[in-house]
Amino acid sequence: MQEKVEAQPILSMNSVEVLYDNVMLAIKGVSIQVPKGEMIALLGSNGAGKSTTLKAISGLLKAERGRVSRGEIRFNGTDITEMLAQNRVELGICHVIEGRRVFEHLTPDENLTAAAPTGMSRSDLSGEKEKIYNYFPRLAERRNSLAGYLSGGEQQMLAIGRALVTQPSLLMLDEPSLGLAPFLVAEIFGILQKINKEEGMSVLLVEQNALAALEIVSEGYLIENGRVVMNGTAEALKSNSDIQEFYLGGGEGTDFHNVKHYSRRKRWLS
Amino acid sequence: MDWVFLSELAINGALTGLLYSLFAIGLVLIYKASSVPNLAQGGLTMVGAYVVLALSHDAGLPLWVAIPLGAVIMFALGFGIERVALRRLAGRPVVMILMLTLGLDIFLRGTTLAIWGGTSRSMELGVSYEPLFVGDIFVSRIHLVGAAVTIAFFVAFMLFFRTRTGVKLRAIADDYMASWSVGISVERGVGLSWALASVVALGAGVIWGEIQGVDQSLSLLLLKGLTVAVLGGLDSILGAVIAGLILGIVENVGADFLDPLVGGGSRELIVAAVLILTVMIRPHGLFGRHDIERV
Repeated sequence: MQEKVEAQPILSMNSVEVLYDNVMLAIKGVSIQVPKGEMIALLGSNGAGKSTTLKAISGLLKAERGRVSRGEIRFNGTDITEMLAQNRVELGICHVIEGRRVFEHLTPDENLTAAAPTGMSRSDLSGEKEKIYNYFPRLAERRNSLAGYLSGGEQQMLAIGRALVTQPSLLMLDEPSLGLAPFLVAEIFGILQKINKEEGMSVLLVEQNALAALEIVSEGYLIENGRVVMNGTAEALKSNSDIQEFYLGGGEGTDFHNVKHYSRRKRWLS
Repeated sequence: MDWVFLSELAINGALTGLLYSLFAIGLVLIYKASSVPNLAQGGLTMVGAYVVLALSHDAGLPLWVAIPLGAVIMFALGFGIERVALRRLAGRPVVMILMLTLGLDIFLRGTTLAIWGGTSRSMELGVSYEPLFVGDIFVSRIHLVGAAVTIAFFVAFMLFFRTRTGVKLRAIADDYMASWSVGISVERGVGLSWALASVVALGAGVIWGEIQGVDQSLSLLLLKGLTVAVLGGLDSILGAVIAGLILGIVENVGADFLDPLVGGGSRELIVAAVLILTVMIRPHGLFGRHDIERV
């Protein structure tokens, strides 16, 4: 019995379809499972439907006039497909949206305050803040300057910290590496890994930077044209030749100066 | 040059200006949360005055009961407006919300006209009309009371925006999507800002109702209030207070110089000039927020 409970994924998404404006089908039957305490990556190119998948899970679709038209999303076994975004945050799902989007005219400290759940006591909140500043010492240094003037990396850290204040059990991140220098990506991913280990927080990571993502996750899904076309452990994905060619930057031993380059484009059977 | 007279003009101008500020604070509260200048703020102000009149004169309650009770009613009305009208418009272009507030203004004016008629009624706050002399300078008592109310609201809101709820409201003003993503109820926040603005409108309605009588013309305060709000920067409460002082003084002193030259009516011209020049020279006002651009 105990084992059965253990085996239940924290998030399961079953053949979910998302319609924008009642006409545009953005994802077409996506099924994803996030086991408790694991880090999972969602890979794919621009416009593949990764962000839409996250928004379907966090409930932010509504703000963009989208809706789940088929399938169901379960969080710890509860059907959340139609739930309001704020109630999903209360349940423990937090979505770090694309492009950082910190509250620019608030200080980092106030950014964290703004995200505090309504019932959280003052002492819990300051404890929570200290924990976040421990993860991100750079933020602690600048806690009282305006968030709009932080560097891109610091803003990304703040966006993650702000999400942590809501005390999620599932943290979803949309392209946290976007526009950041490689050493910052490494630093942020390292912290994510640490949070995942120390707090047992499950993480669903959307990335175009497959190389960096596959280093820290245990499992990955590849999405193309609104469908999951491949899924497997990080090791399996890394060694897959198609993934290597299309997402990890070049297959082995291909010298493009010598090869007459036919634009080989993978057509996933769908 | 008569310095006593000039300072009397300036001081009374400043007091009147603070009454414009009182109106403008309501505009600022809604602008911060919804990014639209609320064209219905004049209508709300008038409704606030009528609600207090109905409670005190028609229902016979003493003013110290009627005004707080009226504030509760206005608070609920503000929340109601968000729930019934604004929520459907979330995510639509801002111009649609602007048009909605215009429609709301017309609706509120029509409703008050239908219920209470068009004749001007007096508020009878019981503030003495005896002139108050500070040194040689004559000051209107009701303006003094109104200025005190403005300062009280100003201080209250400065403190409020430091509380957790206040910080959440500022977060909503910054970014709806990000607010939703961390579980802030944007709808409730916008509702709260309308509710607070409606309470401010009641304050402005009571004071202005005492000064110029309660009738449809109260809603025309929107023009001066909007000028003050734009000059102050639309999203700054401090800006609204300072801009009110500036507009009040410039209007009162300027009109005294210009009226003999043009034969009266220069007040409106001065207000118009301030509004137009602000938009042309400094569109974000004195204290308005620039969007932060990192270099």
